[in-house]
Amino acid sequence: MSDFEPKIVVFLCNWCSYAGADLAGVSRYQYPTNIRAVRVMCSTRISAHIVLELFKEGADGVMVSGCHIGDCHYINGNLFTKRRVKLADDLLKLTGVEPERLRLEWVSAAEGEKYSQVITSFVKKVKELGPSPVLKDPKLVTRLGAAVMAAKYFRSKTLTCKEVKLTAKGNVYEEVIGPKEYDLMIERAIEDEYQKSLILTLSSQEARSVIELAKEIGQPTDRILEYVVALRAKNMLALDRIEGTTPRYRATIGGA
Amino acid sequence: MEKAESSVLVIGGGVAGIQASLDLADKGVIVQLVEKEPSIGGKMAQLDKTFPTNDCSICILAPKMADCYGHPNINVWTMSEVIGLEGSKGNFKAKVLKKARYVDENKCTGCGECLEKCPTKGLPNAWEQNLTTRRAIYMAFMQAVPRVAIIDPEHCRFLLEGKCGVCKKVCKREAIDYDMKDVEMEFNVAAVVVATGFDVWDPTRSTEYGYGKYPNVFTAMEYERIINAAGPTHGHIQRRSDGQEPVTMAYIQCVGSRNPRTGHPYCCSVCCMHSTKESMLAREHIEGIKSTIFYKDMRACAKGFNEYVERNKRDYGVEYINSDATVQGQTEKGNPIVSFDVAGKSHQKEFDMVVLAATLVPSKGNVELAKKLGVELDEFHFFKMQNRTLDPINSSRPGVYLAGYCAGPMDIPESVAMGSAAAAKAMEALVQRKVFA
Amino acid sequence: MSDEEKRIGVFICHCGSNIAGFIDVPAVTEYVKTLPDVVFATRNLYTCADDGLTSIKESIKEHKLNRVVVAACTPRTHAPLFQGTCQEAGLNKYLFTFVNIRDQCSWVHMKEKEKATEKAKDLLRMGVARARLLQAQDEVKVGVTSAAVVIGGGVAGMSAALSIADQGFPVRLVEKESELGGFVRNLSSVYQEREDAGALLKTIIDRVRSNPNIEVLLNSEVISADGFVGNYDIIIDTKGQERNDKVGVIVLATGTREYIPKGLYGYGQSPNIVTLTEFEKLVKERKLPKLSSVAFIQCVGSRGQDKSYCSRICCNVSLKNAMNLAENYKNMRGLEGTGAVVEAAAPKETPSEGGERRHGRRGRRGGAEESEEGGASEGPKLEIVIFNRDIMAYGVDHELMYNKAREKKVRLVRYTPKNIPKVSVDSGKLVIDYWHDTLQMQRRMTPDLIVLATPVTSQADAKEISMMLKVPLGQDGFFLEAHVKLRPVDFATDGIYVCGTCKGPADIPEAVSQGIAAASRASIPLARGFVQPEALSAFVDSEVCSGCGNCIEVCPFTAIRKNEHGKAEVTIAACKGCGNCGATCPENAIFMNNYSDEQLLAEAKAALQEAKG
Repeated sequence: MSDFEPKIVVFLCNWCSYAGADLAGVSRYQYPTNIRAVRVMCSTRISAHIVLELFKEGADGVMVSGCHIGDCHYINGNLFTKRRVKLADDLLKLTGVEPERLRLEWVSAAEGEKYSQVITSFVKKVKELGPSPVLKDPKLVTRLGAAVMAAKYFRSKTLTCKEVKLTAKGNVYEEVIGPKEYDLMIERAIEDEYQKSLILTLSSQEARSVIELAKEIGQPTDRILEYVVALRAKNMLALDRIEGTTPRYRATIGGA
Repeated sequence: MEKAESSVLVIGGGVAGIQASLDLADKGVIVQLVEKEPSIGGKMAQLDKTFPTNDCSICILAPKMADCYGHPNINVWTMSEVIGLEGSKGNFKAKVLKKARYVDENKCTGCGECLEKCPTKGLPNAWEQNLTTRRAIYMAFMQAVPRVAIIDPEHCRFLLEGKCGVCKKVCKREAIDYDMKDVEMEFNVAAVVVATGFDVWDPTRSTEYGYGKYPNVFTAMEYERIINAAGPTHGHIQRRSDGQEPVTMAYIQCVGSRNPRTGHPYCCSVCCMHSTKESMLAREHIEGIKSTIFYKDMRACAKGFNEYVERNKRDYGVEYINSDATVQGQTEKGNPIVSFDVAGKSHQKEFDMVVLAATLVPSKGNVELAKKLGVELDEFHFFKMQNRTLDPINSSRPGVYLAGYCAGPMDIPESVAMGSAAAAKAMEALVQRKVFA
Repeated sequence: MSDEEKRIGVFICHCGSNIAGFIDVPAVTEYVKTLPDVVFATRNLYTCADDGLTSIKESIKEHKLNRVVVAACTPRTHAPLFQGTCQEAGLNKYLFTFVNIRDQCSWVHMKEKEKATEKAKDLLRMGVARARLLQAQDEVKVGVTSAAVVIGGGVAGMSAALSIADQGFPVRLVEKESELGGFVRNLSSVYQEREDAGALLKTIIDRVRSNPNIEVLLNSEVISADGFVGNYDIIIDTKGQERNDKVGVIVLATGTREYIPKGLYGYGQSPNIVTLTEFEKLVKERKLPKLSSVAFIQCVGSRGQDKSYCSRICCNVSLKNAMNLAENYKNMRGLEGTGAVVEAAAPKETPSEGGERRHGRRGRRGGAEESEEGGASEGPKLEIVIFNRDIMAYGVDHELMYNKAREKKVRLVRYTPKNIPKVSVDSGKLVIDYWHDTLQMQRRMTPDLIVLATPVTSQADAKEISMMLKVPLGQDGFFLEAHVKLRPVDFATDGIYVCGTCKGPADIPEAVSQGIAAASRASIPLARGFVQPEALSAFVDSEVCSGCGNCIEVCPFTAIRKNEHGKAEVTIAACKGCGNCGATCPENAIFMNNYSDEQLLAEAKAALQEAKG
């Protein structure tokens, strides 16, 4: 495994991390060549689905790097970054891809040395994990497709952008939600969205029965049935045919 | 000819003059930028890196030089000097002498063909601190703006003897013009910004440092070129005597400055920091190099400077010794011997290489220029401020403003700020002229 | 747009040897030629040099390029240059993209030429992938409110206000105290000529008061600022009344305050241990006690003792005061003409035990060490000692004052952080025990007054102002300019400028210079009369927008509002293009100009392909 050279995509915010990466260069701090940086104006730009999409394409690792909390050039963009990366992380766990392949780091414009250290340690970690399992495993591709879909859903997107408000200012009933509570709430919601996405993805490939879906996804049949009912109610899933006594369903919208 | 109410004359195309020009031009003012050298950029263009961020100097300056040269409102006159200034605030008539470059600026593409073919070689390259040579036709430096060749009339065989003409033959753009003459120009301007910068003091004028006598004693400006990748040694630190990499280096501060006997009793404000930077960079060029800085007071007194010095001590292992130092001879191997004091006891130590923080002094041309502009100099030949506290931008003559080191020791950001400030004062003069004319 | 044939030109810079020394540039250039839609690729010794720029311009014409990729240093410094070059050749600057192969490639992989070359190929493939999706953008021209607000009425703020006013624009000068003058109001004298600080302030204040373009608002604060360069809606709380105002630019000159040295050198234990500013006040108010011995201690709480920075000005203020005491003690106490006799006592230092006395070797040495020649020969006089680490007498005037102080027998005793002077208060008497480096022995002095030179620090409300204006503070708590070398009075945010001690320690002439400099920068948009923001803004597809309002909630610049159809709408000139709304929109109805999902994914996915070449 020693000759494995991972490909890692790094998103850098223009104002801090990109400048920090430049400073590493100016100061000649050396680090491994495995990273490919993409500059964005703010790390907040990186939606979870972009990160998951890259894993689906076979990235060995993805890093998002922004200004330190409090230093954001756009005031608090990086607070949202934190939540978005958490969302990607939660979904990654559900797909079975090692979550250590995704990293969030804060690097300031003055931290050239830190940048080189962060990269060095991340590359080391990814080398230990070995090449991404995704491209060799069609199941993982399907799951990541579902994860991408889940990350784009209204509920996921809305929850990721409400954290600041709900945990600091409270909801319409002025109930302030604790950060841990909020994490749990999101995790549950994300899991729902992911399972539903997976059902849609699998049943867009071919018409599936509930039992088949349950087996494929690894969830109890009754739970899958609940999702199927919910998806049918939203007209996202339709009865394709009945084989014997087994109804088979097909997604009405394209899976990822 | 441009009307005075919309024009300003800027003298000096270093970073202060460039900033003044850009600020004015961005407000729609026509700027006549007069630079005596063949390229704008000034001393900052010669530096390798800048403290305390170690930003590459030419990298951050080059875009400004290009912006300045390409700005529709700025006329850059290189090889030019101001020879007279008549009139008064709001209504000056400036006379400028543009010296012959013998190469047509509008035709030359800067391809460098002529530079390769010129048979007159081995002339000292002053821009590279005479550490390398140039030919009789040459380019000011790699990133010169404008990137146009220039013929040295004192050495060009054709101009001297009427023989040769090689450059003309090889120039496919037909840019060579041996008949070019000096041209006198006249500009109507409402205000003048003086930004003539500084010269590096010549340490051969003092015997204490052995400069010129011991080959491995360098000035800081020479060293800046040596560590520069585009410099004469391609960024390799080498001794003058044998081309070897040094293992130990000494930096001596206040060379020629803080010394009434040299006529420069003042502090040049930047040497502590540039030596700190240079010793840091030495470590980046040569692992394991051991540097020592001999200083009187470590004047690390602007934003981030103290932290920079502390980092140099901590992370780069550079030793700071609080003592005067001189160079008292050299060993057989050509190692300069530095003499200094610690805790009242005198010490001698040899180093592979010594870098002198030769002080920065007002431009030689200031005396003559001040006469032509009708402004006063102070006793050290800096341009005199009307009132250092209240009006630090005004010279002694209304309508003539000061920017950068020509008004007193300062570093790059102060020069840039003062360039902007001089632009503001010039703009005020233009506005007043419009209101009261 | 998508039907248009893409013709991409790629320019790869050697940067002398900065890139070419560590990356096989010819191989990269050959590789790039194999990429889709690349019709031209070349390399330059310096792409940023005149000939490089010319080659870009000529190639755009010759090869009909409609996309340009430059692979060189970093877009942070050089993108504007190349964008401008493209524009000169008639190519929309948004059809340009930058690939960083120096700062983030050759310089960080200096020992792995092969791998660095592979990485450079990947980076170029990514750049080309991005370039293929670039679209021309028009920058919107927005008018400017021709007025400025200057926050802070100290010398920097007043200088900025005066210059903006004299360039022909109305200025509101907002000062939170009940009078103009700022920190300088605390001072007794100004050091250059030791002229009266009050008289100096009066001159500046008179200029401000008599300028018809300046409106002075005392007891006032800017409590809210919304908008963007050229168009700010601000609310000024003036004496409890809120006033809405419109300005085009904002200059920040909120000044500084003195660090209080709690727990350092016996501060608080005796009324005779004062800070430098407290000392200035004693002098100003003529309340200086009777003195025979004074000690100044420099770098109290600075240079690593608490704050990491050097406060730049305190050495020179101490020197000035030491000089004043040496030359002018009677006047300082206001005793002249009262018939009182100044009682001068002999210096109280414990005599040295015949230690080695050292004189300047070449007559100019004493400064760094100590002027040992005590004043005994001139009879009893005031003893003045400055304990210092380095005397920051930079420049001409300070250094000359430093020399003069030494002539006046001001003793300069150097200490190191390992050996700081120890102050104790013994039944009301002050004692300083210190290490004498030249004599290599411990010594003691018993001054009547100890003056602690503490640094200036950021104002208590700096954080608040930074949040309000969305401008950054540095680690030292001072406002952080856009670039320490080349943009000393700008913020990264257009339309807001900074000067004086709120961005770091500065003396009066420096604060005045910076104030005028900020005025120059601030009056550029005012003089032009319009601004043209970069076309990086968000764009809402109103057909897809569901009106959920998530984007409005996350926008930090209040640049999005709901229009009359209940759909989100972006104020282009206020949008800074961070992309928070774009990442938030559940309908994917928000498109980021120049940073769309499609462009980002194309660029990032290109990284994952293998280079074949």
